[in-house]
Amino acid sequence: MIALEVKNLTKTFDKIVAVDNASFEVPEGSIFGLIGRNGAGKTTTIRMMMNIYIPDSGEVLLRGNKVDHTFKDNVGYLPEERGLYKKSKVMDILLYFAELKGKKGKDIHKKAEEYLERFELLDRKNSKIEDLSKGNQQKVQFISTILHDPEFIILDEPFSGLDPINTNLLKEIILDLKKQGKVIIFSTHLMDFAERMCDHITMIDHGKIILKGKLTEIKSKYSQENISLNYEGDISFLNSHPLVDKIEDFGNTTGIRIKDASKTQELLKLLVDNKVKVKRFDANDISLHEIFISLAGKVEGEQLTAGVANV
Amino acid sequence: MFSLDKTITVIKRELKDKLLSKTFVLMTLLLPIFMFGILGFQTFLLTQESDEGTIIELVSENEEVLNNIQKVFQERTFIQNGYYKVGYSQKDKDQLQSFLEEKRADLLSDKLTAIIFVPNSALENKDVEYYSKNPNNRTVFDKLRDMINNALVETYFEDKNFSQEEIEFAGMRVGFNTFRVSTDKDAEEEGVGNLIAAFLFTFLLYFSLIFLGTMMMRAVLEEKTSKIVEVLLSSCSSKDLMTGKILGTGITGVIQMFIWLLPVIVVITTSVFTLPQDFNLKISMGMIGYFLINYFIGLLTFLGLFATVGAIFDNDQDAQSGIWPIMMLIMIPFFIAITSQNNPDSALIKISSFVPFSSIIVMPARMTLVEVPLWQLLAAVVINIATFFGIFMLAGKIYRVGILRTGKKPSWSEVVKWFKYQY
Repeated sequence: MIALEVKNLTKTFDKIVAVDNASFEVPEGSIFGLIGRNGAGKTTTIRMMMNIYIPDSGEVLLRGNKVDHTFKDNVGYLPEERGLYKKSKVMDILLYFAELKGKKGKDIHKKAEEYLERFELLDRKNSKIEDLSKGNQQKVQFISTILHDPEFIILDEPFSGLDPINTNLLKEIILDLKKQGKVIIFSTHLMDFAERMCDHITMIDHGKIILKGKLTEIKSKYSQENISLNYEGDISFLNSHPLVDKIEDFGNTTGIRIKDASKTQELLKLLVDNKVKVKRFDANDISLHEIFISLAGKVEGEQLTAGVANV
Repeated sequence: MFSLDKTITVIKRELKDKLLSKTFVLMTLLLPIFMFGILGFQTFLLTQESDEGTIIELVSENEEVLNNIQKVFQERTFIQNGYYKVGYSQKDKDQLQSFLEEKRADLLSDKLTAIIFVPNSALENKDVEYYSKNPNNRTVFDKLRDMINNALVETYFEDKNFSQEEIEFAGMRVGFNTFRVSTDKDAEEEGVGNLIAAFLFTFLLYFSLIFLGTMMMRAVLEEKTSKIVEVLLSSCSSKDLMTGKILGTGITGVIQMFIWLLPVIVVITTSVFTLPQDFNLKISMGMIGYFLINYFIGLLTFLGLFATVGAIFDNDQDAQSGIWPIMMLIMIPFFIAITSQNNPDSALIKISSFVPFSSIIVMPARMTLVEVPLWQLLAAVVINIATFFGIFMLAGKIYRVGILRTGKKPSWSEVVKWFKYQY
């Protein structure tokens, strides 16, 4: 079931194409990751999804219908750079943001107190934002994102600047929200974070979608061509070997990408034959980071001919 | 994409945020104190007679003139009580030269304020000579002018067989007693009350447009730089946000202006305070109402402009440099309105009371000083409302692009391009 469908979105600013014909689907009840480095077009895409920017072309469909301004009431958005009125009191700002989403009254007040309690901030409800620590300000911002009980929650780098305890608390709440059937959309450049949290991802680079699909399927596809290797010895002979597409040193492990997924065993044999001491040879594991490097690295030099890697 | 509910939510927040803020309360209370303080200080300076201890040598070529001057001078209290010390002597022009040489050191060291020489020719042309280190001492001229005139007149007519009354009449100055002619009343004698009111209106408009405008610009800048706007725009459209902010601040401004005008309203509607005849105010409640409506429209227009500047730039410094064109739109009409007190019927005043932007400041001053036909008052309102809608549309386009833009300071030509952007 598709909750949100992004179709051929394009947005240009002063001849710079920020988002280039992007299409992807956000499934119902998923934790969806929009992944890419800074400036890749994530925020512009999200802004178009929320109807803040009007796309040059393309459209966003919410369960088959074009999104309009009423969609905004159904979204909670946590921007990457947090924004709260410094001079306002915690409770006032929570109620204001909720009212802008069309929710007000005693119930919202009560709910705000519940969330504040859960984040151990209830005693600060009448404090001014500027008197709170940065971590606490972030918690307030997060509460304001979900207080109006939106169906869609868009989180831009939600964990940056949070300590481990609060990171866990936030994760717990996000998983809770997923259980309630909310659609959670992460926008992040942290690959290993996306790998741990998301079940569906879309990778964007230079405004173009370079990969999308279910995380497990993506990983199993790419892992077949990728081997992570721990070894002792010299593997430089592989550099120009016809079997090998690319070798990448990740520090602890070396990633080897072979041209033909069925030739894994041949590579292992080659290593043994060349007296390389193999400590770990994993042909069924690849990190999102590796996938990203292998895809985005290509885009860097020449145009990606294959288009979107669809899984 | 306009949502009334959301706009109202923003208005409510702006009102709560502004009306209850310390700055608002302080400004509302302090401005009148500040203004009356300035008025009081000026009056204090004027009453503080700085010419005490003036020492004058009065020299006349003609003995008769000298005697008459002495007679007139000694009738005055400020001479009698030694406030001014005057020495009298009769000298001809040559003697005067040596006398000047002799007294030069005294004049330069302020032991002597001035030497006044009344030559014989003064009986023909009333020109006297004034020798001093500071030859532009208006206070002394104003005090002595009429007295010397009277002495000259008296001498001139002395042997011509006129009665004392006739001579006194000849020595009198012309006094202008001013009357305002309007359509609905008999000619009424007018004091300086309306002049002061016109100045008050002009000053209040000037001050609060700049004050609230700058405040608006800062608020937009804050929302932009602190990224609050990203959260806000995920909830409402930029139009809701801008409309709400402008209306919220506009309502605050009108409430503030009403509070400032309360003393005037009390004076004209009740008899709690009676002003001296000279300060009589010829202002109706209709004029106060017009003033407030005019202010509201003008304020909304300028708030739109200031909000736009706040949205274009992303730091205070750049924004300061960006507001000068708007400042000009307030300052030039301000100076025009101030000069209107000399001649409120001049072509400049008439025209500028219809020109967009300047009309907001000039029309109230003009209306206070002369009677303006109703159709002209209404025409100005219509022009201002049209200007407001024009500005609001243009500002809205720039605002919605600028508010989400960060990075380098945009050039004006880039800003113009924003009009065409489809956001």
